[in-house]
Amino acid sequence: MRARTVRLWSVVHTWTSLISTLFLLLLCLTGLPLIFHHEIDELLGYAPRPEAHAGAARATPQVVAAAALAADPGRVLQYVSWDKDEPGIVMAFTNGAPDGAPDNATMRAFDAVSAKLLGPVGIGPMLIVLKLHTDMFAGQAGKLFLGTMGLLFAAAIVSGVVLYWPFTRRLRFATIRDSASHRVRWLDWHNLIGVVTLAWALVVGLTGAVNTWAELMLSQWKATELASMVAPYAGKPPPVHLASLDDVVACAKLAAPGTEVAFIAFPGTPFTSSHHFAAFMRGDTALTARLLKPVLLDGETGEVADVRALPLYLQALLISQPLHFGDYGGMPLKVIWAALDGLTIAMIGSGLYLWLGRRRKRRPGRSDAFAGRAPVPS
Amino acid sequence: MHGSSDRARLWIRVFAAPILLATATIIGLLAALLWGTTGQYVAWVTVGAPVGVVGWVWMRGRSQKNGPILPTIPAK
Repeated sequence: MRARTVRLWSVVHTWTSLISTLFLLLLCLTGLPLIFHHEIDELLGYAPRPEAHAGAARATPQVVAAAALAADPGRVLQYVSWDKDEPGIVMAFTNGAPDGAPDNATMRAFDAVSAKLLGPVGIGPMLIVLKLHTDMFAGQAGKLFLGTMGLLFAAAIVSGVVLYWPFTRRLRFATIRDSASHRVRWLDWHNLIGVVTLAWALVVGLTGAVNTWAELMLSQWKATELASMVAPYAGKPPPVHLASLDDVVACAKLAAPGTEVAFIAFPGTPFTSSHHFAAFMRGDTALTARLLKPVLLDGETGEVADVRALPLYLQALLISQPLHFGDYGGMPLKVIWAALDGLTIAMIGSGLYLWLGRRRKRRPGRSDAFAGRAPVPS
Repeated sequence: MHGSSDRARLWIRVFAAPILLATATIIGLLAALLWGTTGQYVAWVTVGAPVGVVGWVWMRGRSQKNGPILPTIPAK
């Protein structure tokens, strides 16, 4: 590789890293507790605890819906959801209006058997950490900005891999030159951590960026797929009397055999039309449990109106989520995720240290930018 | 001829371990998603491999600095 090429890639690596450094540190630092948010919520007493009911029959969806409305008088139900990993709990989202802003929604947990209110969900210090991590309290603009930082991170990783060759080609893998200067030692650690974590960091960075486009993708789905699903029912008014949620769930299960309900969107909410329920069904394998299938049902009768698989881009979004969160391989994978997150913090910190050190070195004589890093051009 | 084969050998020496680790990581990430509980066990080993490598290098550096990890029996 020619010296000029190395210099060009080095400029790409330096600036993509520098621009995103502060935000990547924020993402890594907030991401660390988010890996264990269930455990932290439990520890701090913010996690709902279902009652013990050995072998008892579960409350019907309509009973849970009634309990949710009774718990929040004057408001309407937006969604009812069933988490595969927490079978003892049913979540209900209420809001001032069916199309109310997500920030005005209240999420409550109910016991899956007794339908007793267990308490609010999504509150406490982890909510602040989550908001910092997803949008820095800046809404959609903040999300898209952090998504761009994720893409810069990916560019920094790719350019780092290109630079790995000239900087390490005369060294054995995993060489740390302990007898050399402090800077060279840090460079070796930076190169090692960067190259061994590159696949994980690329996957987490890119899936994080994809997640920031979730609302745009949903808007696209609503404007195209959902619009064509509800087109035959255009002009139908919002339902005067809602169908029983029990009938809605039963009809949805018949329309998508071998699946169970992940969540139900009530008529008028952003996930459906003003006249229809939308039941989002999931499969029972590790993969199909994440790929939802929407079933559109009449708001007054519960009859199935349409069933369609989600488009590829939404399926990609749903698959990208576990790959970003690291919550799909039990506690050991969470611990590994945290360790990799810690290594990424060390890599970002060491990169910053190397850049600051190089600036200090260059200041007196403005010598060659690469003198301090000593690459080995081929 | 020799130059290009040397270069290829050098390239393999530099990138073999990183490519192996990257492949293992990707396999592990997908395994837990596709193969249920068995996949989880695969993921713990393969996704954890980069952490293991860094830990090994760190331990190696410490043992080189401090001498052998096992204490030697002092002579009487």
